[in-house]
Amino acid sequence: MKSLSLEEIQTLNDSEIETSKAIEKILGPSAIKIDNVTVSFKSKNGIYTAIKDISLDIKKGEIVSFIGHSGCGKSTLMNTISGMNTPSHGEVIANGNVVKGPGPDRGIVFQNYSLLPWLTVFQNIYEAVDSSFKNISKKEKIEMVEKNLKMVNLWEHHHKLPGHLSGGMKQRVAIARAFAINPKILLLDEPFGALDALTKSSMHIELLKLWNLDHREKTIVMVTHDIEEAIFLSDRVVVLNNGPASTIKEIVEVNLERPRNKKDIVHDPKYMEIHDKLLNLLIDKFSIADY
Amino acid sequence: MKKIFNIQSLYSILFFTGSIIILGLIWQLVSIITEKEIPGPLQTWVVCKEMFTTPFYDNGPNDKGIGNQLMSSLWRVFIGFGIGSLIAIPLGVIMGSSKFMMRLFDPIVQILRPVSPLAWFPLGLLAFKAAAGATIFIITITSLWPTLINTSFGVSSIPQDHKNVGKAFGFSKLKYLTKILIPYSLPHIITGLRLSIGIAWMVIVAGEMLSGGSGIGFFVWDSWNGLSLEKILVAILIIGTVGLLLDKLFNVVQHAFAWENK
Repeated sequence: MKSLSLEEIQTLNDSEIETSKAIEKILGPSAIKIDNVTVSFKSKNGIYTAIKDISLDIKKGEIVSFIGHSGCGKSTLMNTISGMNTPSHGEVIANGNVVKGPGPDRGIVFQNYSLLPWLTVFQNIYEAVDSSFKNISKKEKIEMVEKNLKMVNLWEHHHKLPGHLSGGMKQRVAIARAFAINPKILLLDEPFGALDALTKSSMHIELLKLWNLDHREKTIVMVTHDIEEAIFLSDRVVVLNNGPASTIKEIVEVNLERPRNKKDIVHDPKYMEIHDKLLNLLIDKFSIADY
Repeated sequence: MKKIFNIQSLYSILFFTGSIIILGLIWQLVSIITEKEIPGPLQTWVVCKEMFTTPFYDNGPNDKGIGNQLMSSLWRVFIGFGIGSLIAIPLGVIMGSSKFMMRLFDPIVQILRPVSPLAWFPLGLLAFKAAAGATIFIITITSLWPTLINTSFGVSSIPQDHKNVGKAFGFSKLKYLTKILIPYSLPHIITGLRLSIGIAWMVIVAGEMLSGGSGIGFFVWDSWNGLSLEKILVAILIIGTVGLLLDKLFNVVQHAFAWENK
Protein backbone atom coordinates (compact mmCIF):
# COMPACT_ATOMS: atom_id res chain seq x y z
CA MET A 1 0.00 0.00 0.00
CA LYS A 2 1.28 3.47 -0.88
CA SER A 3 2.07 5.77 2.02
CA LEU A 4 0.55 9.23 2.09
CA SER A 5 2.66 12.08 0.89
CA LEU A 6 2.39 15.50 2.51
CA GLU A 7 0.52 16.93 -0.47
CA GLU A 8 -1.96 14.15 -0.31
CA ILE A 9 -2.69 14.83 3.34
CA GLN A 10 -3.06 18.48 2.43
CA THR A 11 -5.64 17.74 -0.21
CA LEU A 12 -7.54 15.60 2.25
CA ASN A 13 -8.43 18.72 4.16
CA ASP A 14 -9.38 20.82 1.18
CA SER A 15 -12.94 19.91 0.42
CA GLU A 16 -15.26 16.98 0.26
CA ILE A 17 -14.80 16.39 -3.45
CA GLU A 18 -11.08 16.62 -3.07
CA THR A 19 -11.29 14.20 -0.18
CA SER A 20 -13.01 11.54 -2.20
CA LYS A 21 -10.50 12.05 -5.00
CA ALA A 22 -7.66 11.65 -2.55
CA ILE A 23 -9.15 8.50 -1.12
CA GLU A 24 -9.43 7.22 -4.65
CA LYS A 25 -5.78 8.09 -5.13
CA ILE A 26 -4.76 6.20 -2.04
CA LEU A 27 -6.95 3.16 -2.42
CA GLY A 28 -6.76 3.28 -6.18
CA PRO A 29 -9.78 3.83 -8.41
CA SER A 30 -12.04 0.86 -8.86
CA ALA A 31 -11.03 -1.11 -11.93
CA ILE A 32 -14.23 -3.10 -12.00
CA LYS A 33 -17.56 -1.99 -10.60
CA ILE A 34 -20.26 -4.63 -10.63
CA ASP A 35 -23.50 -2.81 -10.01
CA ASN A 36 -26.53 -4.83 -8.98
CA VAL A 37 -26.04 -7.44 -11.69
CA THR A 38 -28.56 -10.20 -12.40
CA VAL A 39 -27.98 -12.72 -15.19
CA SER A 40 -30.79 -14.95 -16.45
CA PHE A 41 -30.82 -17.42 -19.32
CA LYS A 42 -33.71 -18.79 -21.30
CA SER A 43 -33.87 -22.56 -20.94
CA LYS A 44 -36.34 -25.32 -21.80
CA ASN A 45 -37.93 -25.08 -18.35
CA GLY A 46 -38.41 -21.33 -18.43
CA ILE A 47 -36.00 -18.67 -17.28
CA TYR A 48 -32.96 -19.73 -15.27
CA THR A 49 -31.37 -17.07 -13.09
CA ALA A 50 -27.69 -17.84 -12.53
CA ILE A 51 -26.68 -14.86 -10.39
CA LYS A 52 -28.85 -12.29 -8.68
CA ASP A 53 -28.26 -8.74 -7.41
CA ILE A 54 -24.51 -8.92 -7.21
CA SER A 55 -22.60 -5.74 -6.43
CA LEU A 56 -18.85 -5.62 -6.00
CA ASP A 57 -16.05 -3.07 -6.35
CA ILE A 58 -12.64 -4.33 -7.36
CA LYS A 59 -9.74 -1.90 -6.97
CA LYS A 60 -6.99 -1.36 -9.47
CA GLY A 61 -4.12 -3.78 -8.90
CA GLU A 62 -6.16 -6.04 -6.68
CA ILE A 63 -6.30 -9.81 -7.01
CA VAL A 64 -9.78 -11.15 -6.30
CA SER A 65 -10.96 -14.76 -6.40
CA PHE A 66 -14.49 -16.04 -6.85
CA ILE A 67 -15.00 -19.29 -5.05
CA GLY A 68 -18.02 -21.55 -4.69
CA HIS A 69 -19.47 -24.93 -5.53
CA SER A 70 -20.00 -26.11 -9.08
CA GLY A 71 -22.89 -24.33 -10.73
CA CYS A 72 -22.85 -21.40 -8.34
CA GLY A 73 -22.47 -18.90 -11.16
CA LYS A 74 -18.76 -18.12 -10.72
CA SER A 75 -18.13 -18.43 -14.42
CA THR A 76 -21.30 -16.53 -15.26
CA LEU A 77 -20.13 -13.63 -13.11
CA MET A 78 -16.72 -13.82 -14.78
CA ASN A 79 -18.26 -13.85 -18.26
CA THR A 80 -20.28 -10.78 -17.35
CA ILE A 81 -17.06 -8.91 -16.60
CA SER A 82 -15.43 -10.16 -19.80
CA GLY A 83 -18.49 -9.22 -21.81
CA MET A 84 -19.28 -12.70 -23.09
CA ASN A 85 -22.61 -12.53 -21.20
CA THR A 86 -24.81 -9.48 -21.00
CA PRO A 87 -26.51 -8.88 -17.66
CA SER A 88 -30.31 -9.00 -17.69
CA HIS A 89 -30.28 -6.34 -15.03
CA GLY A 90 -27.63 -3.94 -13.73
CA GLU A 91 -24.29 -3.20 -15.34
CA VAL A 92 -20.58 -3.80 -15.10
CA ILE A 93 -18.17 -0.91 -15.42
CA ALA A 94 -14.62 -1.88 -16.30
CA ASN A 95 -11.86 0.74 -16.56
CA GLY A 96 -14.52 3.46 -16.49
CA ASN A 97 -16.60 2.10 -19.35
CA VAL A 98 -19.82 0.11 -19.28
CA VAL A 99 -19.07 -3.41 -20.51
CA LYS A 100 -20.94 -4.07 -23.75
CA GLY A 101 -18.82 -6.93 -25.07
CA PRO A 102 -15.33 -8.39 -24.91
CA GLY A 103 -12.52 -5.89 -25.37
CA PRO A 104 -8.72 -5.74 -25.37
CA ASP A 105 -8.69 -3.92 -22.00
CA ARG A 106 -9.68 -7.25 -20.41
CA GLY A 107 -7.45 -10.23 -21.17
CA ILE A 108 -8.99 -13.64 -20.68
CA VAL A 109 -7.37 -16.94 -19.80
CA PHE A 110 -9.85 -19.72 -20.44
CA GLN A 111 -10.26 -22.86 -18.38
CA ASN A 112 -9.26 -25.17 -21.23
CA TYR A 113 -6.49 -22.91 -22.59
CA SER A 114 -8.42 -22.32 -25.86
CA LEU A 115 -5.36 -22.15 -28.06
CA LEU A 116 -6.05 -22.54 -31.75
CA PRO A 117 -4.61 -25.99 -32.55
CA TRP A 118 -3.65 -25.19 -36.16
CA LEU A 119 -1.55 -22.17 -35.21
CA THR A 120 1.91 -22.39 -33.65
CA VAL A 121 2.55 -21.02 -30.18
CA PHE A 122 3.98 -17.89 -31.79
CA GLN A 123 1.03 -17.42 -34.16
CA ASN A 124 -1.50 -17.94 -31.38
CA ILE A 125 -0.10 -14.95 -29.53
CA TYR A 126 0.68 -12.94 -32.65
CA GLU A 127 -2.93 -13.06 -33.88
CA ALA A 128 -4.17 -11.75 -30.53
CA VAL A 129 -1.56 -8.96 -30.54
CA ASP A 130 -2.34 -8.16 -34.17
CA SER A 131 -6.04 -7.77 -33.36
CA SER A 132 -5.51 -5.63 -30.28
CA PHE A 133 -2.87 -3.18 -31.51
CA LYS A 134 -3.79 -1.54 -34.78
CA ASN A 135 -1.23 1.25 -34.91
CA ILE A 136 2.10 -0.45 -34.43
CA SER A 137 4.40 -2.02 -36.99
CA LYS A 138 4.71 -5.71 -37.65
CA LYS A 139 8.21 -5.68 -36.21
CA GLU A 140 6.98 -4.26 -32.91
CA LYS A 141 4.22 -6.85 -32.76
CA ILE A 142 6.73 -9.65 -33.26
CA GLU A 143 8.89 -8.16 -30.51
CA MET A 144 5.90 -8.09 -28.16
CA VAL A 145 5.17 -11.76 -28.83
CA GLU A 146 8.81 -12.61 -28.24
CA LYS A 147 8.96 -10.64 -24.99
CA ASN A 148 5.87 -12.33 -23.60
CA LEU A 149 6.93 -15.82 -24.61
CA LYS A 150 10.32 -15.26 -23.01
CA MET A 151 8.54 -14.11 -19.86
CA VAL A 152 6.91 -17.54 -19.50
CA ASN A 153 10.10 -19.30 -20.65
CA LEU A 154 8.58 -20.74 -23.78
CA TRP A 155 10.45 -18.90 -26.51
CA GLU A 156 12.33 -22.02 -27.55
CA HIS A 157 8.96 -23.71 -28.19
CA HIS A 158 7.49 -20.85 -30.24
CA HIS A 159 7.35 -22.84 -33.49
CA LYS A 160 5.46 -25.78 -31.96
CA LEU A 161 1.78 -26.53 -32.33
CA PRO A 162 -0.22 -26.56 -29.06
CA GLY A 163 -0.85 -30.29 -29.48
CA HIS A 164 2.84 -30.89 -28.81
CA LEU A 165 2.84 -29.08 -25.45
CA SER A 166 2.04 -30.31 -21.96
CA GLY A 167 -0.94 -28.91 -20.07
CA GLY A 168 1.23 -26.56 -18.02
CA MET A 169 2.98 -25.25 -21.10
CA LYS A 170 -0.33 -24.67 -22.86
CA GLN A 171 -1.57 -22.71 -19.87
CA ARG A 172 1.60 -20.62 -19.89
CA VAL A 173 1.00 -19.83 -23.57
CA ALA A 174 -2.57 -18.83 -22.72
CA ILE A 175 -1.29 -16.57 -19.93
CA ALA A 176 1.37 -15.09 -22.20
CA ARG A 177 -1.34 -14.42 -24.77
CA ALA A 178 -3.49 -12.62 -22.21
CA PHE A 179 -0.48 -10.56 -20.99
CA ALA A 180 0.66 -9.79 -24.55
CA ILE A 181 -2.36 -7.62 -25.28
CA ASN A 182 -1.38 -5.69 -22.14
CA PRO A 183 -4.84 -5.53 -20.58
CA LYS A 184 -5.55 -3.49 -17.46
CA ILE A 185 -7.67 -6.35 -16.20
CA LEU A 186 -6.81 -10.02 -16.37
CA LEU A 187 -9.64 -12.52 -16.09
CA LEU A 188 -8.75 -16.11 -15.24
CA ASP A 189 -11.51 -18.71 -15.45
CA GLU A 190 -10.36 -21.74 -13.41
CA PRO A 191 -6.99 -21.33 -15.06
CA PHE A 192 -5.17 -24.09 -13.21
CA GLY A 193 -8.06 -26.50 -12.77
CA ALA A 194 -6.75 -29.06 -15.24
CA LEU A 195 -3.17 -29.09 -13.95
CA ASP A 196 -1.54 -31.48 -11.52
CA ALA A 197 -0.64 -30.17 -8.05
CA LEU A 198 3.07 -29.60 -8.75
CA THR A 199 2.53 -27.77 -12.03
CA LYS A 200 -0.24 -25.79 -10.36
CA SER A 201 2.09 -24.53 -7.61
CA SER A 202 4.73 -23.37 -10.03
CA MET A 203 2.08 -21.70 -12.18
CA HIS A 204 0.87 -19.71 -9.14
CA ILE A 205 4.37 -18.40 -8.65
CA GLU A 206 4.75 -17.65 -12.38
CA LEU A 207 1.53 -15.67 -12.33
CA LEU A 208 2.57 -13.60 -9.31
CA LYS A 209 5.98 -13.06 -10.90
CA LEU A 210 4.36 -11.62 -14.02
CA TRP A 211 2.09 -9.47 -11.87
CA ASN A 212 5.13 -8.15 -9.94
CA LEU A 213 7.09 -7.51 -13.15
CA ASP A 214 4.18 -5.35 -14.20
CA HIS A 215 4.47 -3.35 -10.92
CA ARG A 216 1.28 -4.91 -9.56
CA GLU A 217 -0.80 -2.62 -11.72
CA LYS A 218 -2.93 -5.22 -13.39
CA THR A 219 -6.19 -6.14 -11.72
CA ILE A 220 -6.64 -9.89 -11.63
CA VAL A 221 -9.98 -11.62 -11.20
CA MET A 222 -9.92 -15.38 -10.90
CA VAL A 223 -12.50 -18.14 -10.67
CA THR A 224 -11.43 -21.16 -8.68
CA HIS A 225 -12.70 -23.90 -6.41
CA ASP A 226 -9.36 -24.41 -4.73
CA ILE A 227 -9.20 -22.75 -1.29
CA GLU A 228 -5.38 -22.86 -0.99
CA GLU A 229 -4.99 -21.34 -4.44
CA ALA A 230 -7.47 -18.59 -3.64
CA ILE A 231 -5.70 -17.65 -0.40
CA PHE A 232 -2.18 -17.80 -1.81
CA LEU A 233 -2.97 -15.52 -4.74
CA SER A 234 -5.72 -13.16 -3.66
CA ASP A 235 -6.24 -9.98 -1.69
CA ARG A 236 -9.91 -10.82 -1.29
CA VAL A 237 -11.87 -14.02 -1.72
CA VAL A 238 -15.51 -13.68 -2.74
CA VAL A 239 -17.57 -16.67 -1.62
CA LEU A 240 -20.72 -17.27 -3.64
CA ASN A 241 -23.88 -19.05 -2.48
CA ASN A 242 -25.08 -22.13 -4.27
CA GLY A 243 -27.18 -21.47 -7.36
CA PRO A 244 -29.61 -20.92 -8.85
CA ALA A 245 -29.91 -17.18 -8.32
CA SER A 246 -26.73 -17.15 -6.29
CA THR A 247 -25.57 -14.09 -4.42
CA ILE A 248 -22.42 -13.13 -2.56
CA LYS A 249 -22.28 -15.08 0.70
CA GLU A 250 -19.29 -13.34 2.16
CA ILE A 251 -16.15 -11.49 1.17
CA VAL A 252 -13.05 -12.66 3.02
CA GLU A 253 -10.04 -10.34 3.22
CA VAL A 254 -6.68 -12.06 2.87
CA ASN A 255 -4.42 -9.66 4.74
CA LEU A 256 -1.25 -11.71 4.36
CA GLU A 257 1.83 -9.78 3.44
CA ARG A 258 3.37 -10.03 -0.01
CA PRO A 259 5.58 -11.50 -1.28
CA ARG A 260 4.09 -14.69 0.05
CA ASN A 261 6.10 -17.84 0.40
CA LYS A 262 4.26 -20.96 -0.65
CA LYS A 263 6.02 -23.13 1.92
CA ASP A 264 5.94 -20.79 4.92
CA ILE A 265 2.50 -19.34 4.43
CA VAL A 266 0.68 -22.54 5.43
CA HIS A 267 2.15 -22.30 8.94
CA ASP A 268 1.05 -18.71 9.36
CA PRO A 269 -1.78 -18.62 11.96
CA LYS A 270 -3.51 -15.92 9.92
CA TYR A 271 -3.47 -18.24 6.92
CA MET A 272 -4.97 -21.07 8.96
CA GLU A 273 -7.67 -18.79 10.28
CA ILE A 274 -8.65 -17.69 6.77
CA HIS A 275 -8.48 -21.25 5.53
CA ASP A 276 -10.82 -22.43 8.29
CA LYS A 277 -13.20 -19.59 7.68
CA LEU A 278 -13.43 -20.38 3.96
CA LEU A 279 -13.81 -24.07 4.63
CA ASN A 280 -16.69 -23.35 7.01
CA LEU A 281 -18.34 -21.12 4.45
CA LEU A 282 -18.06 -23.73 1.72
CA ILE A 283 -18.72 -26.97 3.56
CA ASP A 284 -21.64 -27.50 5.93
CA LYS A 285 -20.90 -30.99 7.12
CA PHE A 286 -17.43 -32.23 7.90
CA SER A 287 -18.30 -35.81 8.71
CA ILE A 288 -21.01 -38.29 7.95
CA ALA A 289 -23.78 -37.89 10.50
CA ASP A 290 -23.94 -40.71 13.04
CA TYR A 291 -27.42 -42.13 13.22
CA MET B 1 15.21 -41.43 -42.17
CA LYS B 2 12.09 -43.48 -42.75
CA LYS B 3 12.42 -46.67 -44.73
CA ILE B 4 10.35 -46.38 -47.89
CA PHE B 5 10.08 -50.12 -48.37
CA ASN B 6 8.97 -51.75 -45.15
CA ILE B 7 7.03 -54.89 -44.37
CA GLN B 8 3.73 -52.98 -44.34
CA SER B 9 4.09 -51.75 -47.91
CA LEU B 10 5.14 -55.24 -48.98
CA TYR B 11 1.88 -56.59 -47.57
CA SER B 12 -0.08 -53.84 -49.34
CA ILE B 13 1.47 -54.81 -52.66
CA LEU B 14 0.79 -58.51 -52.08
CA PHE B 15 -2.85 -57.87 -51.21
CA PHE B 16 -3.26 -55.59 -54.23
CA THR B 17 -1.76 -58.22 -56.53
CA GLY B 18 -4.00 -60.89 -55.01
CA SER B 19 -7.03 -58.71 -55.55
CA ILE B 20 -6.14 -58.15 -59.22
CA ILE B 21 -5.65 -61.88 -59.75
CA ILE B 22 -9.11 -62.61 -58.29
CA LEU B 23 -10.63 -59.98 -60.57
CA GLY B 24 -8.84 -61.56 -63.56
CA LEU B 25 -10.13 -65.02 -62.64
CA ILE B 26 -13.74 -63.86 -62.29
CA TRP B 27 -13.42 -62.05 -65.58
CA GLN B 28 -12.03 -65.17 -67.30
CA LEU B 29 -14.85 -67.24 -65.79
CA VAL B 30 -17.50 -64.85 -67.10
CA SER B 31 -15.83 -64.97 -70.49
CA ILE B 32 -15.96 -68.77 -70.53
CA ILE B 33 -19.60 -68.89 -69.38
CA THR B 34 -20.70 -66.43 -72.07
CA GLU B 35 -18.75 -68.46 -74.67
CA LYS B 36 -16.34 -65.64 -75.48
CA GLU B 37 -19.14 -63.17 -76.18
CA ILE B 38 -17.46 -61.12 -73.49
CA PRO B 39 -13.74 -61.14 -74.27
CA GLY B 40 -11.37 -62.52 -71.66
CA PRO B 41 -8.41 -60.73 -70.07
CA LEU B 42 -5.82 -62.01 -72.55
CA GLN B 43 -7.87 -61.02 -75.58
CA THR B 44 -8.44 -57.59 -74.05
CA TRP B 45 -4.76 -57.24 -73.24
CA VAL B 46 -3.88 -57.51 -76.96
CA VAL B 47 -6.27 -54.70 -77.84
CA CYS B 48 -5.07 -52.71 -74.85
CA LYS B 49 -1.44 -52.85 -75.96
CA GLU B 50 -2.49 -51.71 -79.41
CA MET B 51 -4.42 -48.79 -77.96
CA PHE B 52 -1.52 -47.68 -75.81
CA THR B 53 1.11 -47.80 -78.56
CA THR B 54 -0.33 -44.60 -80.07
CA PRO B 55 -2.52 -43.08 -77.33
CA PHE B 56 -2.49 -39.54 -78.73
CA TYR B 57 -3.29 -39.96 -82.45
CA ASP B 58 -5.96 -37.73 -83.93
CA ASN B 59 -7.71 -38.72 -87.17
CA GLY B 60 -10.54 -36.23 -87.16
CA PRO B 61 -13.47 -35.75 -84.77
CA ASN B 62 -14.62 -39.39 -84.56
CA ASP B 63 -11.28 -41.15 -84.35
CA LYS B 64 -8.97 -40.08 -81.56
CA GLY B 65 -6.46 -41.92 -79.37
CA ILE B 66 -7.44 -43.09 -75.88
CA GLY B 67 -5.01 -40.58 -74.34
CA ASN B 68 -6.78 -37.71 -76.07
CA GLN B 69 -10.17 -38.98 -74.94
CA LEU B 70 -8.98 -39.27 -71.37
CA MET B 71 -7.48 -35.78 -71.41
CA SER B 72 -10.67 -34.16 -72.65
CA SER B 73 -12.68 -36.03 -69.99
CA LEU B 74 -10.32 -34.99 -67.23
CA TRP B 75 -10.41 -31.41 -68.44
CA ARG B 76 -14.23 -31.37 -68.33
CA VAL B 77 -14.27 -32.92 -64.88
CA PHE B 78 -11.74 -30.37 -63.70
CA ILE B 79 -13.79 -27.43 -65.01
CA GLY B 80 -17.14 -28.76 -63.78
CA PHE B 81 -15.79 -29.77 -60.39
CA GLY B 82 -13.95 -26.43 -60.08
CA ILE B 83 -17.08 -24.39 -60.78
CA GLY B 84 -19.09 -26.62 -58.43
CA SER B 85 -16.59 -26.14 -55.62
CA LEU B 86 -16.48 -22.38 -56.15
CA ILE B 87 -20.24 -22.34 -55.61
CA ALA B 88 -20.38 -24.98 -52.87
CA ILE B 89 -17.65 -23.76 -50.50
CA PRO B 90 -18.83 -20.14 -50.05
CA LEU B 91 -22.47 -21.24 -49.90
CA GLY B 92 -21.54 -23.92 -47.36
CA VAL B 93 -19.73 -21.33 -45.24
CA ILE B 94 -22.80 -19.07 -45.32
CA MET B 95 -25.16 -21.92 -44.44
CA GLY B 96 -22.88 -23.18 -41.68
CA SER B 97 -22.43 -19.75 -40.10
CA SER B 98 -26.09 -18.90 -39.76
CA LYS B 99 -28.96 -21.05 -38.55
CA PHE B 100 -31.32 -18.83 -40.52
CA MET B 101 -29.52 -19.47 -43.81
CA MET B 102 -29.24 -23.19 -43.00
CA ARG B 103 -32.99 -23.51 -42.52
CA LEU B 104 -33.66 -21.39 -45.60
CA PHE B 105 -31.38 -23.30 -48.00
CA ASP B 106 -31.49 -26.82 -46.60
CA PRO B 107 -34.79 -27.83 -48.28
CA ILE B 108 -33.40 -26.74 -51.67
CA VAL B 109 -30.34 -28.92 -51.09
CA GLN B 110 -32.46 -31.87 -50.02
CA ILE B 111 -34.68 -31.63 -53.10
CA LEU B 112 -31.98 -31.10 -55.73
CA ARG B 113 -29.32 -33.44 -54.34
CA PRO B 114 -30.94 -36.78 -55.31
CA VAL B 115 -31.69 -35.70 -58.90
CA SER B 116 -29.93 -37.88 -61.48
CA PRO B 117 -27.34 -36.15 -63.68
CA LEU B 118 -29.17 -37.37 -66.78
CA ALA B 119 -32.29 -35.48 -65.74
CA TRP B 120 -30.31 -32.24 -65.72
CA PHE B 121 -28.89 -32.77 -69.20
CA PRO B 122 -31.78 -31.33 -71.27
CA LEU B 123 -31.81 -28.22 -69.08
CA GLY B 124 -28.08 -27.86 -69.69
CA LEU B 125 -28.59 -28.18 -73.44
CA LEU B 126 -31.30 -25.55 -73.31
CA ALA B 127 -29.20 -23.16 -71.26
CA PHE B 128 -25.89 -23.52 -73.09
CA LYS B 129 -27.12 -24.44 -76.60
CA ALA B 130 -24.16 -26.82 -76.81
CA ALA B 131 -23.39 -30.33 -75.66
CA ALA B 132 -20.00 -29.37 -74.21
CA GLY B 133 -21.56 -26.75 -71.94
CA ALA B 134 -24.30 -29.16 -70.91
CA THR B 135 -21.80 -31.82 -69.85
CA ILE B 136 -19.92 -29.37 -67.65
CA PHE B 137 -23.24 -28.12 -66.29
CA ILE B 138 -24.35 -31.58 -65.14
CA ILE B 139 -20.96 -32.25 -63.54
CA THR B 140 -21.17 -28.96 -61.69
CA ILE B 141 -24.70 -29.42 -60.43
CA THR B 142 -24.33 -33.03 -59.33
CA SER B 143 -20.87 -32.78 -57.78
CA LEU B 144 -21.38 -29.69 -55.65
CA TRP B 145 -23.63 -31.30 -53.01
CA PRO B 146 -21.11 -33.30 -50.95
CA THR B 147 -18.81 -30.27 -50.75
CA LEU B 148 -21.72 -28.02 -49.81
CA ILE B 149 -23.03 -30.35 -47.12
CA ASN B 150 -19.62 -31.11 -45.62
CA THR B 151 -18.56 -27.46 -45.63
CA SER B 152 -21.74 -26.34 -43.91
CA PHE B 153 -21.40 -29.15 -41.38
CA GLY B 154 -17.75 -28.23 -40.68
CA VAL B 155 -18.52 -24.55 -40.23
CA SER B 156 -21.57 -25.16 -38.05
CA SER B 157 -19.58 -27.45 -35.73
CA ILE B 158 -16.83 -24.95 -34.81
CA PRO B 159 -16.48 -25.35 -31.01
CA GLN B 160 -17.58 -22.46 -28.81
CA ASP B 161 -14.04 -22.34 -27.36
CA HIS B 162 -12.55 -21.35 -30.69
CA LYS B 163 -15.28 -18.79 -31.29
CA ASN B 164 -14.63 -17.35 -27.82
CA VAL B 165 -10.97 -16.80 -28.68
CA GLY B 166 -12.03 -14.70 -31.65
CA LYS B 167 -14.48 -12.76 -29.48
CA ALA B 168 -12.18 -12.25 -26.50
CA PHE B 169 -9.25 -10.98 -28.54
CA GLY B 170 -11.37 -8.94 -30.92
CA PHE B 171 -10.60 -10.76 -34.17
CA SER B 172 -11.86 -8.92 -37.24
CA LYS B 173 -14.31 -10.72 -39.57
CA LEU B 174 -11.46 -11.48 -41.98
CA LYS B 175 -9.19 -12.78 -39.24
CA TYR B 176 -12.00 -14.96 -37.89
CA LEU B 177 -12.52 -16.36 -41.38
CA THR B 178 -8.86 -17.05 -42.14
CA LYS B 179 -7.59 -18.06 -38.69
CA ILE B 180 -10.55 -19.89 -37.15
CA LEU B 181 -13.37 -20.74 -39.55
CA ILE B 182 -11.39 -21.99 -42.57
CA PRO B 183 -8.66 -23.87 -40.67
CA TYR B 184 -11.25 -25.63 -38.53
CA SER B 185 -13.50 -26.60 -41.43
CA LEU B 186 -10.74 -27.40 -43.93
CA PRO B 187 -10.62 -31.16 -43.17
CA HIS B 188 -14.41 -31.29 -43.62
CA ILE B 189 -14.22 -29.28 -46.84
CA ILE B 190 -11.57 -31.60 -48.24
CA THR B 191 -13.66 -34.67 -47.34
CA GLY B 192 -16.49 -33.04 -49.27
CA LEU B 193 -14.23 -32.33 -52.24
CA ARG B 194 -13.05 -35.93 -52.22
CA LEU B 195 -16.63 -37.22 -52.42
CA SER B 196 -17.44 -34.60 -55.04
CA ILE B 197 -14.61 -35.50 -57.38
CA GLY B 198 -15.75 -39.13 -57.18
CA ILE B 199 -19.24 -38.13 -58.27
CA ALA B 200 -17.89 -35.85 -60.99
CA TRP B 201 -15.87 -38.72 -62.43
CA MET B 202 -18.92 -41.02 -62.40
CA VAL B 203 -21.09 -38.41 -64.07
CA ILE B 204 -18.61 -37.60 -66.85
CA VAL B 205 -19.09 -41.00 -68.53
CA ALA B 206 -22.88 -40.66 -68.63
CA GLY B 207 -22.59 -37.05 -69.75
CA GLU B 208 -20.23 -37.81 -72.60
CA MET B 209 -22.34 -40.74 -73.79
CA LEU B 210 -25.18 -38.27 -74.25
CA SER B 211 -23.17 -35.38 -75.61
CA GLY B 212 -20.82 -37.27 -77.93
CA GLY B 213 -17.83 -35.68 -79.63
CA SER B 214 -14.95 -36.68 -77.38
CA GLY B 215 -14.05 -38.08 -73.99
CA ILE B 216 -13.90 -41.47 -72.35
CA GLY B 217 -17.70 -41.79 -72.16
CA PHE B 218 -18.00 -41.05 -75.85
CA PHE B 219 -15.25 -43.63 -76.46
CA VAL B 220 -17.28 -46.33 -74.67
CA TRP B 221 -20.35 -45.53 -76.71
CA ASP B 222 -18.38 -45.33 -79.95
CA SER B 223 -16.75 -48.72 -79.23
CA TRP B 224 -20.19 -50.21 -78.61
CA ASN B 225 -21.33 -48.92 -82.00
CA GLY B 226 -18.19 -50.42 -83.52
CA LEU B 227 -18.87 -53.64 -81.57
CA SER B 228 -15.42 -53.65 -80.00
CA LEU B 229 -16.09 -55.06 -76.55
CA GLU B 230 -12.37 -55.26 -75.83
CA LYS B 231 -12.12 -51.49 -76.12
CA ILE B 232 -15.07 -51.06 -73.76
CA LEU B 233 -13.40 -53.31 -71.20
CA VAL B 234 -10.14 -51.38 -71.50
CA ALA B 235 -12.09 -48.14 -71.06
CA ILE B 236 -13.80 -49.53 -67.94
CA LEU B 237 -10.42 -50.40 -66.43
CA ILE B 238 -9.07 -46.96 -67.27
CA ILE B 239 -12.11 -45.24 -65.75
CA GLY B 240 -11.70 -47.31 -62.58
CA THR B 241 -7.97 -46.65 -62.31
CA VAL B 242 -8.28 -42.91 -62.89
CA GLY B 243 -11.09 -42.76 -60.32
CA LEU B 244 -8.86 -44.53 -57.82
CA LEU B 245 -5.97 -42.14 -58.52
CA LEU B 246 -8.20 -39.08 -58.10
CA ASP B 247 -9.39 -40.45 -54.76
CA LYS B 248 -5.83 -41.17 -53.63
CA LEU B 249 -4.81 -37.64 -54.62
CA PHE B 250 -7.47 -36.16 -52.35
CA ASN B 251 -6.53 -38.62 -49.65
CA VAL B 252 -3.01 -37.16 -49.70
CA VAL B 253 -4.39 -33.61 -49.58
CA GLN B 254 -6.67 -34.61 -46.70
CA HIS B 255 -3.73 -35.90 -44.67
CA ALA B 256 -1.69 -32.80 -45.40
CA PHE B 257 -4.37 -30.56 -43.89
CA ALA B 258 -5.43 -32.68 -40.94
CA TRP B 259 -4.19 -30.58 -37.99
CA GLU B 260 -5.80 -32.98 -35.52
CA ASN B 261 -3.15 -35.66 -35.93
CA LYS B 262 -0.18 -33.30 -35.86
